[in-house]
Amino acid sequence: MSLVNLAHVCSHLQNASKARLGLTSIPVSKLHVNLMLGLQKEGFLSSVTLGGTAPPKPFLLQSQSAPEELEKMANTLAEEPWNAYPPPEAEKSSPHPSPLGKEQVYEVHVPQNPARRRLWLGLKYWNNEPVLKHMRLISKPTRRIWLNSEDLGKITRTRQAGFVKGLTSPGECMFVTTDRGILEARECVERRVGGMVLCRVS
Amino acid sequence: MSVWRPARCLFSRSTTLPKPSASTSASHQPRPFHSSCPRPARRRPHYPSIKASDLQLLNQAASESYPKYNTDETALLRKRYTPAQIAAIKAAEAAIDPRDLLTQGQQRTDPWRLPYEDDLADVDPVTDHADKLPPSAIVGKKDFRLANAVERDEAMSRIANENLAKMYPDGVPDGQLSRKDQEKLEENMEAAFTQAAMDPRAVYTGSNPRALEALADPRHSVILPDLPRIENRMARQTRRLADEEEEDPRQKRLLKYLDWDKDKLRSIRVKTLIVHGVTNQTRMGKIRSLYYLTIAGNGNGLLGVGEGKSVEPEEGRKQSVMAAIRNLRPVPRYENRTIYGDLEKKVAATKVQLFARPPGFGLRVQHLIFEMARAAGLQDLAARTPRSRNKMNVIKATWEALCSQKLPDEIARARGKKLVDVRKVYYGGSVH
Repeated sequence: MSLVNLAHVCSHLQNASKARLGLTSIPVSKLHVNLMLGLQKEGFLSSVTLGGTAPPKPFLLQSQSAPEELEKMANTLAEEPWNAYPPPEAEKSSPHPSPLGKEQVYEVHVPQNPARRRLWLGLKYWNNEPVLKHMRLISKPTRRIWLNSEDLGKITRTRQAGFVKGLTSPGECMFVTTDRGILEARECVERRVGGMVLCRVS
Repeated sequence: MSVWRPARCLFSRSTTLPKPSASTSASHQPRPFHSSCPRPARRRPHYPSIKASDLQLLNQAASESYPKYNTDETALLRKRYTPAQIAAIKAAEAAIDPRDLLTQGQQRTDPWRLPYEDDLADVDPVTDHADKLPPSAIVGKKDFRLANAVERDEAMSRIANENLAKMYPDGVPDGQLSRKDQEKLEENMEAAFTQAAMDPRAVYTGSNPRALEALADPRHSVILPDLPRIENRMARQTRRLADEEEEDPRQKRLLKYLDWDKDKLRSIRVKTLIVHGVTNQTRMGKIRSLYYLTIAGNGNGLLGVGEGKSVEPEEGRKQSVMAAIRNLRPVPRYENRTIYGDLEKKVAATKVQLFARPPGFGLRVQHLIFEMARAAGLQDLAARTPRSRNKMNVIKATWEALCSQKLPDEIARARGKKLVDVRKVYYGGSVH
């Protein structure tokens, strides 16, 4: 688990945001994937897709259902809203089709060779400003920092703890890798878990 | 240049330089061999020369418009005045040169001149206010008492009748009246009764009717008569009220630009924070001017910064003030007292860090940022300027930082998350 690669990812995301890119890719690792999913959950990223060297097809270029079918689907959902949930396991194998019509699934080609895999991220912009502007490491490759939940609590309340500055700018987030996975600092405080702090994002 | 022009001209005199004299067209002078312009032959005097004939004209006009007394007139004067008085008149006339009267004396054109010819020697009963009368002019006792209701009503009706009689000298019209006349009559009657009610003769009564009459007589009033009110266009335009200040064309333009009135402009707090001299080095020398940087704010979330530069100090200051008011921008404030989170802005080598602080913390910042925070209406703030502290850049960086804050609502919209102000929830919305 090298933090050098994570440092590269941080700088790359900042650069891509400054360049106003819509889609960018980073090397794949379990740490990267989990952190990116955390970022997506916090609303910094619009999409996280595993793919090859070529970018996945944008949503608008993917094959979609015809407008008539969409209308039918909407009517069905309005009358029987429970169809929005996936069917139970018993019915999954049954031959008769779903009441919503055939599901459109877009298959992304993922190379067999793990070295050729890339993680494709959709970046977000709002009011001509990137949503993800700053992203910096806290733990460095040469100096890891572990914090317990009390320290994290202080930090989320804008106080300094364990040589880590508080989250003072509005909407700032901090990601912590714990034994429950990679979590946001506030979630760690809620669950009372500590861990190694990775990066701060705003 | 034409080829037919003789070559002599080329060498004889330069055409661009002024001619040394007018009569050299035929007998050409040699060309001067230095580059400076030759001096004109005839030096012009510093004052216009007055010719003797003109002086004669003035004398003639003076004697025509202010002639000497002839024999008939002196005879008339002798009938009226004593020899001593005549001697005084002659001495007075001799003291004033009629030429001065002609050149300097002029008819009044000011609005306060009399509209009629008068030497103000005696009182004209039509045009002038009557002379004041002394209390001794009232014959008899001079005591009054407050009238009772009956006496007052009687006096009022009598005075109203007098007033109506003044308005209708031929008697009050009766019978069937046209609508217009009827309205006018009612109006006059109301005026007469109002005047009667306000008349002192209705309020007081006494044994001496002459003393009572004196109450309403303006000749016995201690109040000076009003000055005549002049109503023409010039008088209206030049009339100035005491509270009316001088109209600045730049301020007028600014008000038009902002669509504000003067009261709103007066509520803006303006402060000049930086003044220093600057020089422009030209080939003629240094041109010194003054640079001004002014901030403006309404103390309630508006802040502007303006710069001005001019050779004239007052001009530069005004420029900067107007620019500051024109540049007013909203400053988002958390709970109307501090900023939303920490801010950082870098302008050139200057970095300004602003920190939000809890209620009651105060403005613990350097003087420039203090003035800006006060103008914007911020009450709790801390700041650091870790790098260069150039005054102009500190102000600009602070202004930029305060005006370009990221609001929580915006962040929530951008991320698609729900953000809640915990303080507001905790205090049940009783914070701002």
